[in-house]
Amino acid sequence: MPELYLVLIDRILTPVLLMLAVIFLLAGHNAPGGGFIAGLVVATAFLMQIMARGDGFVRRLIGPYLQPLMGAGLLIAVLSALVGIGNYALFFEGVWWKLSLGDFVLELGTPTLFDIGVFLVVSAFVTSYLLELSRPAKEGGRK
Amino acid sequence: MDLFANWLAAPVVVPLLFAATSLLVATRVNLRQIRVQRTLALIASVLNLGVALLLLRTTAIEGQRIVLYAGAWQAPFGITMVADALSAIMLTLTALLMLAIVVYAMGTLDQREGMNFYPLLLFLLMGVNGAFLAGDLFNLYVFFEVLLMSSFVLLSLGGRPNQVNGGLRYVVLNLIASTVFLTTAGVMYGTLGTLNLAHLAERMALAPESLRIVLAGMLLIAYGSKAGLFPLFFWLPASYHTPHPAVTAIFGGLLTKVGIYALFRIYPLLFPELLATWQPFILLIAGLTMLTGVFGAMAVRTIRRVLSFHVISQVGYMVMGLGLAASGNELALGFGMAAGIFYIVHHMIVKTALLMAGGAAELTMGTGQLEPGHLGGLAKRWPWLAVIFFVAAFSLAGIPPSSGFVSKLGLLQAALDAGQWPIAAVSLLVSLLTLMSMVRLWQRGFAGPLEATRVPQRSPHRWLTLAPITMLVLLSLGIGIFSAPVFGWARVAAEQVLDRDGYIQAVAPTDVIAPVGTEH
Repeated sequence: MPELYLVLIDRILTPVLLMLAVIFLLAGHNAPGGGFIAGLVVATAFLMQIMARGDGFVRRLIGPYLQPLMGAGLLIAVLSALVGIGNYALFFEGVWWKLSLGDFVLELGTPTLFDIGVFLVVSAFVTSYLLELSRPAKEGGRK
Repeated sequence: MDLFANWLAAPVVVPLLFAATSLLVATRVNLRQIRVQRTLALIASVLNLGVALLLLRTTAIEGQRIVLYAGAWQAPFGITMVADALSAIMLTLTALLMLAIVVYAMGTLDQREGMNFYPLLLFLLMGVNGAFLAGDLFNLYVFFEVLLMSSFVLLSLGGRPNQVNGGLRYVVLNLIASTVFLTTAGVMYGTLGTLNLAHLAERMALAPESLRIVLAGMLLIAYGSKAGLFPLFFWLPASYHTPHPAVTAIFGGLLTKVGIYALFRIYPLLFPELLATWQPFILLIAGLTMLTGVFGAMAVRTIRRVLSFHVISQVGYMVMGLGLAASGNELALGFGMAAGIFYIVHHMIVKTALLMAGGAAELTMGTGQLEPGHLGGLAKRWPWLAVIFFVAAFSLAGIPPSSGFVSKLGLLQAALDAGQWPIAAVSLLVSLLTLMSMVRLWQRGFAGPLEATRVPQRSPHRWLTLAPITMLVLLSLGIGIFSAPVFGWARVAAEQVLDRDGYIQAVAPTDVIAPVGTEH
């Protein structure tokens, strides 16, 4: 029987943090938030999992994907900056597409894409950093 | 709105894209992944060279300045990238060296060392290119940090204790310099309210003299430390001999030159009057840097340490060009600066070739010790390498018809025209000592009987190792023999660097927030 606070972390705090990260990610640009902060919040969620279920669990879950995720994030960020050039504008210039769904107009733009790239880089990087930090402590404890 | 400016993003975007793709495909260490990373690095360096040559044509030959407002945000509010002839010359040299080093690394790196070497090299390329294109002080700082971080990881890639030791000294001493740089940027923003270089140049003229002197002095400490100037060069000999020879070669060719570039950019733009009033001081630093570097080289006993100390000594010559910038002769404005820029061109090519050749010698013989019974007699085992090393060493010492001769002649002429006899004498003396040091390297390392006591299990691939070194040495000879066009580009670069009003007009900083090109 795991301790109560670990169950709370595992069952309640992690999903709350993940939802908060989505809000932060989409709220950027006109309000406080953005990809960087959302990435940190997701890394915090993984930290909760490391605390509740151990670093081995998280390592098995996402360990091999962290470096490719960083690469993918960088690629998305750079490509979003290049969209401006493809649109006969300057490098990094924002390009927006409007999708009208009935009454609701959804605005999709390259700044959001850039933020998603930043989000992937930051969350993957900080998570791999946290995993590395949790490794020597455990091995030292076994000795 | 000129969409051609978008090309300025390419030297940063190309390495970043290919490095990101390398990270994407590399999930585990195996031979196939390294081959993929290697191919990606090769493609990236070829593309990067193409872009650099395009920018060189537009700036150095057509005499234009290119300005890119990222995200269409007018300077000083957005990120501004500026390329003039100096930036383009540095970009082209960097691209050439990168291509050479990727080929060299294919010949010399073994499998374990190869993993992640190529993506890191691309991140380093991105940092260096970005620093050459930065139009504001903060981005210059950011790109300095990018290259510092990737070079730190490259230094300690093998994970051996002496590599970690050298890497730590390197990163700590460089972080101190970065802190000084960042503090200066903070003071500048606090007092002048901007970090855009053109905007700073406008406002610096209105600043009180005491502030200008403090800022110039702090920047001299920050960049001088990155460039390895006397007395701030300790990090360089402490770290350059420990990593793999390919890493040493690219560091010796590139890293200190980024600091020199920053000095060449910032001083004429922000502190033009100090170039004249501080001339004795700058020339003193130049002379002391030359002398300490060459004396250090005579005192140490491994091939790469000797060559690392020569990096320091050669940096002194470039700063000598900066010191002479304000007092050009009657023929051309800024002849001294042009000679300094030409010296950078010569030095980056020859130094990298020498460090690659020295590294190849070390890898073949299994030791870099210049003692009897260690290195020696390599001319018998690998005659071509010995020939190439010989030519490169004499180019470094300044023997005609190499590029070293022409570049030293230019500096000497500028110094004599300006009536600076002491620095001219010091530069001649240091040339002589460099020649002696090179002769000693040749005698201990290449001439004589074959003395290797231990032969490494795996020697480098001969032609992949030799081809880039040969290419660079031939380039040095070519620049020495046909020096007129290259010197012409250096003259254009010097004139553009000294032309503050032209720079300010090209960037055109405003005080009103308005995106450029709202008409499209």
